[in-house]
Amino acid sequence: MTRLALLFSVIAAAAAIGLAQPSSAAAGWCWPSCSGYGMLGPGTSTANGCWYYSEVCSGWGYWYLNGVSKTCYPGCDPYNGTNGKILYGFENRDRIRGNFTSSYGRRYVQPGELGMGGYLRAQVTWWAGTTSQINVAVAG
Amino acid sequence: MKLTLAVAALLVAAAAGTVLATRTHASERAPLSRISNEGHRVAVQRSSVWNSFGLRSASLLAVRGARAIYRLESKGGPCVGAGPAQEPGKLGTVDCPRGPFPTSERPVLDLSVYEGASHDSHDVSLYRAEGLAADGVVSIAFLRPNGTVALKVPVSANVYEAGVTPSGPVAGLVAYDAAGKELWRSP
Repeated sequence: MTRLALLFSVIAAAAAIGLAQPSSAAAGWCWPSCSGYGMLGPGTSTANGCWYYSEVCSGWGYWYLNGVSKTCYPGCDPYNGTNGKILYGFENRDRIRGNFTSSYGRRYVQPGELGMGGYLRAQVTWWAGTTSQINVAVAG
Repeated sequence: MKLTLAVAALLVAAAAGTVLATRTHASERAPLSRISNEGHRVAVQRSSVWNSFGLRSASLLAVRGARAIYRLESKGGPCVGAGPAQEPGKLGTVDCPRGPFPTSERPVLDLSVYEGASHDSHDVSLYRAEGLAADGVVSIAFLRPNGTVALKVPVSANVYEAGVTPSGPVAGLVAYDAAGKELWRSP
């Protein structure tokens, strides 16, 4: 319960500054860190056996929430769309599932929404277009 | 004098034509900039994590099959959420786009779930279809990589949903108006 309360508080702080989650205190896993953004493009990898080559993924765990914040990098159209398309969600040994986006903004998804549960990896995959600037924060 | 009058008449006619064309264009586009369904206010489950990231209010837009679609207001602006229909107020996914939505350039916010089953191929299938669309959108088609239609779902009260989806790869979606004209295609 304490852990959940702590998680809630850091998500509130994350929302305030625009990151998916800023604090390393409660996030189970962040990429590239819990306080900054990284570039996800062709060839970007966390080198830990993710489903796809151009993907960042957490370690295996009983994850509760995957939060992704995407900026306008390298530029937004007038409607805050970018040319960089990403897939964010979860994966297990049989499949990878998630939602697509190419727009500036924040997204959150729970494994149950994707029909998944149990021992999983949280993931964000570069799918197409330009490199995306993202922050990923996953809670378990 | 006659020449001056003729030029003036031409300029007035051109200006009037421009205004008319602009109005026609604007009136055609206006439905794509609106979501008329305001839903009805609901309480998000207190145990939910979503209360804590600045969520101010939630309105249930529609229940379709096993899914509930919400319009949310957060500190950072409007968001769209979805969750299981059998647990009202429980959000499982939230999308907070920054910038205007909907617009004629982005009349659809797709919350559909896609699945990949091969490490080597970027082919994905559709696990579940759902999302929010502007007033002028009456149907959404999910396309195969070769451009043929894999699934077409109606939009009702700005919401589309299909819990049963065809197998096989999909590679994007298209929004249509009532006349079957393509309004938008996903990037």
